[in-house]
Amino acid sequence: MSKPSDLIQGTLDLLILKTISLEPRHGWAIAKRIEQVSDDVLQVTQGALYPALHRLEQQGWIRAEWRTTETGREAKFYALSRAGREQLERELVQWERLSNAVGLVIRMAPGAAK
Amino acid sequence: MKLRRGWSISRMRLRSLLERSQVERELERELRFHIDQQTEENVTRGIPPDQARRLALRRLGGLAQIEEECREMRRTNYVENFWHDLRYAVRTLAANRGFTMVMVLTLALSIGANSAIFTVIDNVLLKPLPYPEPDRVVRIFFSNSTYPKFRFNPFDFRDYRARNRSFDSMGGFLRHDLQLSSGGQPERLTAIRVTAGYFRVLGFCPTRGREFESKDELPGPDRQVILSDRLWRRRFEADPNIVGRKITLDSQPFVVAGVMPPRIFHPGNDRNAIAHGDTVDLWWAFTFVGDPNNRGSHYVDGIGRLKRGVSPRQAQAEMQSIATELEREHPDFHENWQVHVVPLHHDVVGGSRRLLLVLFGAVGFVLLIACVNAANLLLARATARQREIAVRSALGAGRYRLIRQMLTESVLIAVVGAALGALVAVGGVRILVSLLPANFPRADVIQVNGTVFAFTLLVAIATGLFFGIAPALQASRTELNQALHSGSRTSTSSARQLRLRDSLVVAEVALASVLLIGAGLMLRSFLNLLRMDPGFRPEHALTASISLPDQEYRKNETVVHFCAELVRNLASLSGVQFAGAGTDLPWTGYNENIGGFLIEGRTRAPNERIHARYHAATPDYFRALDIPLLRGRLFTEQDHKTAPQVLIINQSMARRYWPNGDAIGKRVSFFTDKPKPEDWMTVVGIIGDVKDTPLSKATEPAFWWALHQHQPSRTISIVVRSGSDPASLLNGVRQEVQRLNPALAVADVRLMDQIADASVSTPRFTLFLVGLFAGLALLLAASGTYGVVSYSVKRRTHEFGLRMALGARRWDVLRLVLVHGVKLSLAGAALGVLCALALARIFQSLLYEVRAEDPLTFAAVSLLSLAVAAIACYIPARRATQAEPMSVLGSE
Repeated sequence: MSKPSDLIQGTLDLLILKTISLEPRHGWAIAKRIEQVSDDVLQVTQGALYPALHRLEQQGWIRAEWRTTETGREAKFYALSRAGREQLERELVQWERLSNAVGLVIRMAPGAAK
Repeated sequence: MKLRRGWSISRMRLRSLLERSQVERELERELRFHIDQQTEENVTRGIPPDQARRLALRRLGGLAQIEEECREMRRTNYVENFWHDLRYAVRTLAANRGFTMVMVLTLALSIGANSAIFTVIDNVLLKPLPYPEPDRVVRIFFSNSTYPKFRFNPFDFRDYRARNRSFDSMGGFLRHDLQLSSGGQPERLTAIRVTAGYFRVLGFCPTRGREFESKDELPGPDRQVILSDRLWRRRFEADPNIVGRKITLDSQPFVVAGVMPPRIFHPGNDRNAIAHGDTVDLWWAFTFVGDPNNRGSHYVDGIGRLKRGVSPRQAQAEMQSIATELEREHPDFHENWQVHVVPLHHDVVGGSRRLLLVLFGAVGFVLLIACVNAANLLLARATARQREIAVRSALGAGRYRLIRQMLTESVLIAVVGAALGALVAVGGVRILVSLLPANFPRADVIQVNGTVFAFTLLVAIATGLFFGIAPALQASRTELNQALHSGSRTSTSSARQLRLRDSLVVAEVALASVLLIGAGLMLRSFLNLLRMDPGFRPEHALTASISLPDQEYRKNETVVHFCAELVRNLASLSGVQFAGAGTDLPWTGYNENIGGFLIEGRTRAPNERIHARYHAATPDYFRALDIPLLRGRLFTEQDHKTAPQVLIINQSMARRYWPNGDAIGKRVSFFTDKPKPEDWMTVVGIIGDVKDTPLSKATEPAFWWALHQHQPSRTISIVVRSGSDPASLLNGVRQEVQRLNPALAVADVRLMDQIADASVSTPRFTLFLVGLFAGLALLLAASGTYGVVSYSVKRRTHEFGLRMALGARRWDVLRLVLVHGVKLSLAGAALGVLCALALARIFQSLLYEVRAEDPLTFAAVSLLSLAVAAIACYIPARRATQAEPMSVLGSE
């Protein structure tokens, strides 16, 4: 199994959940959206996106549906399930805690060294 | 929420599995869409189309790899592994046909037996009664310390019904059969009188006409009757205009008020018992007659439908407070009485619960033993498979994977066994139902159903895991190097494994001993029953019952005249030795009592309750039943209406009320208020005791009026003793009855033998089944012991050969093997005895005159287990001694 090179796996899940929390999107749109919003800082390894989507769907956090895009093509749209919305809340809280902790460590580290 | 997620997950899994090609197509489409989108974007950026697509593909990564990863995410590999394990298991089992057959057949038998007993439990104990909202239907009993389940006085019943707030409706009923004489052979119909509200309690509505209303409870010229669907079709040609029609029953006119739909289940009752079930032919309106202030006689059974949300306990509390009111209003009649409210389901099946649970326990033990046997076989085979397992594990199978593979095998064996077992159950249930005791509740509805099959499958899976887990854990622990290097034949099982096998033998001998002790106790108890002196002689006696219609036989003299004439005519039939008539017959559930009578020269002690069962009989009634006269005399023809009134009492009554042994000549009066001289009755004879049922602990005090002087009932039991086959008298009896009155039906024709037989049918049934299961358990335990010992003998053949080559005699080797086996079974038997002692309390209520700790049974069973174990060890032990030392050593 290939690992996303620039994103740890849990983070990818969080990004996907967050991205589709506003409206259902298809895979390509999810990748684009993550890149756009992060000002192209986060380059999603597209290869890792689809297994992640399928895993999340298996876990019941997201639901897939075939719909027509604006260009009139059939695409598989992913939407958050109710359980997924709760999962997103949990992951956000966790992320917040983690990034705060990391931030604290980074900021305190030089002081501690002195 | 969790549930919904679980549901959606399992739906996904199922879809990934079952619609695999569809899912695959979708995956391919999804990825193609992505590439197309990316290509388009690349083109809009100005990249030439042919390159745009290539770039898009490169950006995405290896397509096949992504697809594989997506599949992985869908977790279908679990299932694929399962299929693989299953195929492997089938191949392995098919290769070891003998081994597989033994296991499958043992399991089929024991799982089948379990399912059969469970079928009875499910249908009788677990299934709700066939009424709408059955949990709300209750029995209401009037109760005191002597009669815990007594009936109501009708006027009391009416007060309870009017004053309570706990019940939606309440109904009273009592059995009162009616005779249908028009249009064919006279027939006695099973009938009950019911108050208004009776059908509302049960939740049934007539298909035609109406239910009884309160106006039907007033005595009037038009008696109202409701027909069962069965009777309406059978005797009234399903007349669509039957409602309102006048029909004649018991020589009286009745008006048909309605017809009930089929399958109306009678709640069951004790007095003139009708079993629970679709047993009643017709219902007629109960009318309240007599003095509402005389509340002495109790004959109305109460049922009620609780209001929603009211518990039986709450209802009982309310009824009890009404009882206190009634005690204040009618102080003479309500001393120390209580009201009990019991869920109907409990009342119907409560009595059979313990029996069924004991049987379920017994059959569960058999299954446990079968499991132990199966585990033993698997262990033995796991040793033989060490190399195979080692190879598989060397090829990369993890321990978890190996355990799963072996559990798949054991569960497969169990499931195949259970499939056969289901067939055993279907057959077994038929046999079981035909063996059930006569009065067993709900026997008519017992059938194998979906619940039973689900239970069987569940048991199979649990069984497979249970007997598979220990061997699987053992085998998967195989030391890789050791197993691959050592030769397969001499590969040793570890000490741990030997200990496990030994303890399995101990366990199965213990389980079998418990069952054998149970069966032994049942056997002793049953033998006690057979050896018991019933107090009468059931052989060569024919019995029947006749109801004289109230209308025709209103006067007592007419009843007396009829009985006297019938008995005289019957006695003159050829082959008849004695013919008698009476209110009832032994062992038929008769339970009519009178209390508070006066005994001359005796003052009632405070709190003493004077009561006795009353009967009436013609002079030869006792001779026809062969109930011995102990003192005094029997009735004679001279004890007629105008002669001094006489009584015959049983020994229990004599002992209870005349403890000094001088009952003969003493007088009793049933007129408690200043009796006149002619109200006193003199005790003229004492007869032997006859218990209510053979299982009753003690005989109730009872007395007999001379039927010619006192006639409490118009339903007459007749009994005819013959010198030869009593069944040949049947036609003669019927002719004699109909010669006196052609409209009379001769009902309940039975040999006294049959009545006696039916009354021990429950202990016989229990003995048969527990004995059967114990036999099966013994067989399984013996074969298990045999298996273990012969396996260990085979393993030690080399050692034995060596020993004998070094000068050991055959006997030494034999002893070596025997001692080991006997030690194990001794430990097992001891453990079994301890378990049986712990379970004694549960058993006791099913036993008759034998203690559940009966030392004789325990000793006999322990000896039997030991003997069987010794035989099971002896056969392989002998084989060990027959090994030729040279050939054994030479084969190395």
